[in-house]
Amino acid sequence: MFAIFKRELKSYFNSPIGYVVLAVLLLLFGYFYYTVLIYGISQYIATSVYGNMFTMCMMIIPIITMKSLSEDKKNKTDQALITAPVGVTSIVLGKFLAAFCVYAIAMLLTLVPSLIISMFSDLAWGPIIGNVVGSMLYGAAMISIGVFISSLTESQVIAAISTFGVSILMIVIGSASSIVNNAFIAQIVNWLSFNTRYQTFTTGIFNISSVVYFISVVAVFVFLTARKIESRRWS
Amino acid sequence: MIEVKHLTKRYGVNTAINDVSFSIEKGTIVGFLGPNGAGKSTTMNIITGYLSASSGSVTVGGFDILDEANEAKKLIGYLPEFPPLYMDMTVKEYLDFMYGLKKVKLPKEKHIKEICRLVKIENVYNRLIANLSKGYKQRVGIAQALLGNPPVLILDEPTVGLDPKQIIEIRNLIKTLGRNHTIILSSHILSEVQAVCERILIINAGTLVADGTPDRLSHDLSNDHSIIIRADGPENEILHAIKAMDHVVDAHSFGEKEPGVYEFSVEGDPGADIRRDLFALMTRNGWPILSMHNTDLTLEDVFLRLTSGTQSGTFLKKGRN
Repeated sequence: MFAIFKRELKSYFNSPIGYVVLAVLLLLFGYFYYTVLIYGISQYIATSVYGNMFTMCMMIIPIITMKSLSEDKKNKTDQALITAPVGVTSIVLGKFLAAFCVYAIAMLLTLVPSLIISMFSDLAWGPIIGNVVGSMLYGAAMISIGVFISSLTESQVIAAISTFGVSILMIVIGSASSIVNNAFIAQIVNWLSFNTRYQTFTTGIFNISSVVYFISVVAVFVFLTARKIESRRWS
Repeated sequence: MIEVKHLTKRYGVNTAINDVSFSIEKGTIVGFLGPNGAGKSTTMNIITGYLSASSGSVTVGGFDILDEANEAKKLIGYLPEFPPLYMDMTVKEYLDFMYGLKKVKLPKEKHIKEICRLVKIENVYNRLIANLSKGYKQRVGIAQALLGNPPVLILDEPTVGLDPKQIIEIRNLIKTLGRNHTIILSSHILSEVQAVCERILIINAGTLVADGTPDRLSHDLSNDHSIIIRADGPENEILHAIKAMDHVVDAHSFGEKEPGVYEFSVEGDPGADIRRDLFALMTRNGWPILSMHNTDLTLEDVFLRLTSGTQSGTFLKKGRN
């Protein structure tokens, strides 16, 4: 697993993908930080910066995960992975962790402007940290879904677009709960919605059940991806 | 070392391989022959655990490839048809990665250097794999198969894309490795298989049609072969005289090939050499022999014969005797 993780992470930064993802995200973060500076009110960091950037972060995830497994299938390098004495789950975990690591590096780097601002102003760290941790958990869940989708196809484009679709759906599905008449269904939608769970973090509240929920989603999709790779042998 | 039992692989309605069984002793080099699409790569993919069989079992070194996958896979070095190379890595990075992936325990630096020396890729060690020529890529593929010095090597067309000098070097390398490794290699080049392998498996349309040493395959198949002669003389009289010879089982004429010259096929007793007697007979009667050839089969003939669909069933039994 560690060998695969190391290779994947390196390959993100051997190709421009890793740098482009980091640069674009940090540039956009920079723009919103800049607006905060214009307002001169540091409380806006949580709402203005992270609130606006959340959707962008979710948009960038398909780009990180699109080649995760599809490229291996296309270039037949999966033969080396599958015939090596490692289980499929550790292959998938290695891939997942590398993609997550790129995303996590980006999220951690977004704290740099906050750190600098905190030298000149009294920051409310709770909501900021909450936002970062929430984005990481939400991102981890989305990345595991993206890795799963990339295992379904040989085409990076198809993987990226499908993951986009799922990503947007997970953002908007929460609002469906207010439209649905049936209270029971509304509750289920609410419970499933990544967004509703993410919102609690933005106020600086660490909801354990949400943490468990996101980690469970990761576990389920890592499991499904492993099964998918295994099933290829039987096709 | 490798035990393959009743292996069958179906893709939907197509049967890629059908009830293939063989076992390979430790320290033998086995050549795997067959026309395109015969099921060679599929069989190799199943042995290495990349694909699963629809039915049947494979054990490597006593470990089942499905149930004790990691133990079995540790024993195998595999070079697939398309070397599984990451184009964005240098040769060094790639071999480091494969070293870690295969959980090799040998001293890293020394081991990798040694393998690079064996397959002669030291001069491209720090270059990006994407920029290497086909031959070098192939050699990097062989290098990764050798990592960890696995007792079983499975090489799918190992010499594809190499220049003639390299082919000879790789052949010699395989021969050397064959002393203490069990090797299966597939190839389209028959002379290569003949030069390197101690045993040959021929697969056609998913079934195993021959199994034996190269010599045995040509020998056994040439048993039901005859001597072909061309002689200048009267057709019927010659035929009659030949049939009357000792040790001649059967003879027949192929008709007039040149003006007054007839061609005959003469089948002798297995084990009896009738060429001298035949010559004497013809000379006595004043029928000059214009040509005589014994159709000892080359591996090429064996291959063509077995894969063109005739006689395959009966030959397998003979080859295994």
